[in-house]
Amino acid sequence: MRSLLQSDLLDQVRKAGLYVVLLFVTFLICFPLLWSLSTSLKPSTEIFATPPTLFPSEYSLEQYKSLIYGKDMYFVPGTTYRPKTSPPQHFLSWFANSIIVTFGSTLISVVVSTLAAYSLTRFRYWGRRFIPYFSLLGYMVPSIILVFPLFLVMVKLGLTNNLWSLVLGYVSISLPFCMWLMWAFFRGIPIELEEAALIDGASRFRVFYEIVLPMAAPGIIAAAIFSMIVAWNDYLFARIFINSIQKLPLTVGVMHFFEGVHVNWGLMMASAVMMTLPLAFLFMVVQRHLVAGFGAGAVKG
Amino acid sequence: MDVRLEKVTKAFGSVVAVNDIDLTIREKEFVTLLGPSGCGKTTLLRMIAGLEKVSGGSIYFGDRLVNNVRPGDRDVAMVFQNYALYPHFNVARNIGYGLKVRKTPKAEIERRVCEVARILEIENLLKRKPRQLSGGQRQRVALGRAIVRKPFLFLMDEPLSNLDAKLRVTMRSELKRFHIKLGATTIYVTHDQLEAMTMSDKIAVIDAGVLQQFTTPQEIYNRPANMFVAGFIGSPPMNFLAGTLSHENGPALDFGFTRQPLPAAVHSVVRDLPRGKKLILGVRPQDITLTNPARPEGLPAKVWLVELVGSEKLVDLSCGDDVKLMAEVKAEEDIAVEQTVGVRLNPERLHLFDPETGRSLRD
Repeated sequence: MRSLLQSDLLDQVRKAGLYVVLLFVTFLICFPLLWSLSTSLKPSTEIFATPPTLFPSEYSLEQYKSLIYGKDMYFVPGTTYRPKTSPPQHFLSWFANSIIVTFGSTLISVVVSTLAAYSLTRFRYWGRRFIPYFSLLGYMVPSIILVFPLFLVMVKLGLTNNLWSLVLGYVSISLPFCMWLMWAFFRGIPIELEEAALIDGASRFRVFYEIVLPMAAPGIIAAAIFSMIVAWNDYLFARIFINSIQKLPLTVGVMHFFEGVHVNWGLMMASAVMMTLPLAFLFMVVQRHLVAGFGAGAVKG
Repeated sequence: MDVRLEKVTKAFGSVVAVNDIDLTIREKEFVTLLGPSGCGKTTLLRMIAGLEKVSGGSIYFGDRLVNNVRPGDRDVAMVFQNYALYPHFNVARNIGYGLKVRKTPKAEIERRVCEVARILEIENLLKRKPRQLSGGQRQRVALGRAIVRKPFLFLMDEPLSNLDAKLRVTMRSELKRFHIKLGATTIYVTHDQLEAMTMSDKIAVIDAGVLQQFTTPQEIYNRPANMFVAGFIGSPPMNFLAGTLSHENGPALDFGFTRQPLPAAVHSVVRDLPRGKKLILGVRPQDITLTNPARPEGLPAKVWLVELVGSEKLVDLSCGDDVKLMAEVKAEEDIAVEQTVGVRLNPERLHLFDPETGRSLRD
């Protein structure tokens, strides 16, 4: 009896120790995010306060207001006001550009990869067995190698300084992997289901959208999330393909808060929080499907 | 409406899966396509369903050529081996899908789905998803999906093979009952000869894409057309003994260690065959009698294995140098390993085959 109690106690201590370690690691990982959030909620005067405070002594939405209402960073009273010259005044444009480019490239990648995967797994023609491997080969080339050739292509197409250049650029990165993912996923969907629906009288198209697509939903969500991450987080393509400040996406736009030596940390952190929130929220909503999508594709592929 | 197959062929590249099959399935008949795995029976069924294109030949439903008719327009229903239930629909939607696609009014769909669910005793499952059902329940739902459309032709691709043995026996009789009640033509594919024998009006035995025999179960059992059919039908399988023909004292087969007179049914066929011709004698285990080990009569044989299967015993015997036989006797018979028994073959139940063609020799 005594040894049982002792081992129980030991178990509890071990568990407690484990939780402490896990909490510590979690805190380490989350700290940068916490610090960004905290800094973004401080007024500019408190950001460099000594000692530094994790929880602001005075909560302020000053940084967010600057971004959303477009505060002129450079305006000095007594001089002539020139509109749209200061970075925060473009923040909402950058946000819109990021959303447009992300949504556009994701839509194209997902639609094309889904239809391609369906074709590769359901119809018979020469080459259908090795096309997926070729597409994966394309994905293995790092984007930095592709950026200059792609830039020349954009010049020839007349798409430089145009959001379409980013959309197409991101599609070229995400489409190969999305196609590979969807191909592996579709291979796991039994063809008998479609045959049963065909015998029931459904047309091919109806079978595709009523039977196959709902079953492919986890894979589609996984492919969409991957595409969104690629597009939302990209810096390189945007830096090279876009010139004018109002056409930049968020990743390059917020770099304008670095002014030589001085960094406007308040605006920077507020931007960081606003950049992180959409994807974080999306992840929370679809995380269940994400795991299912990647897992199922891996196991069945 | 009959289903008529004329010289139906299917080739996948250089592989001929179905070779020149002629078959007529009469209205309301229950016909089984029986054969080992890979023999082409499923491919043939899929061609009738419209899921595979026909490489050669024609398929008629009545007078209508259906080679190029879409599966959905053929008025057939199919039950798949893995049931193929739509996982994201509940049972009611699964059953009613075919009706919905054909724009049947909602009230009518509901009425027919409930009726079918009642017949199949799955009314309490209508709101469940397939993943929440057992194998037997899924099978009923798959059946319900086929029945509800009241098609003229039912196609079933080994629907019982994923069920446990006990459930298989129950479902076999239920399927037969449904067939009689619905009065629809049914084409059933299986590799299980017991299913074929118990359920069918007629059996089409197929091997390597070629039709071997198409007749009633009784005929197939009693008068198999060739060695393949003879060996495939019947459990335990038929024994085959190779011998040479002799005409001394009447037609008989010489096995070296013994001489077996041939049944009257084959006398007219073997009369013209030369002496010494190699022939194969076929005898079913059930048609072998074992005589008392104490006073063996007939051909002496040594018992080397006895298997009890309930009311019968399967006895492995060896005669002569290397001839192996299997006999089926009543469980009460006192036979033990290493005993020497007498083997008597029922002369009226013997089959004779030509070893070169494999074909059965009889009048």
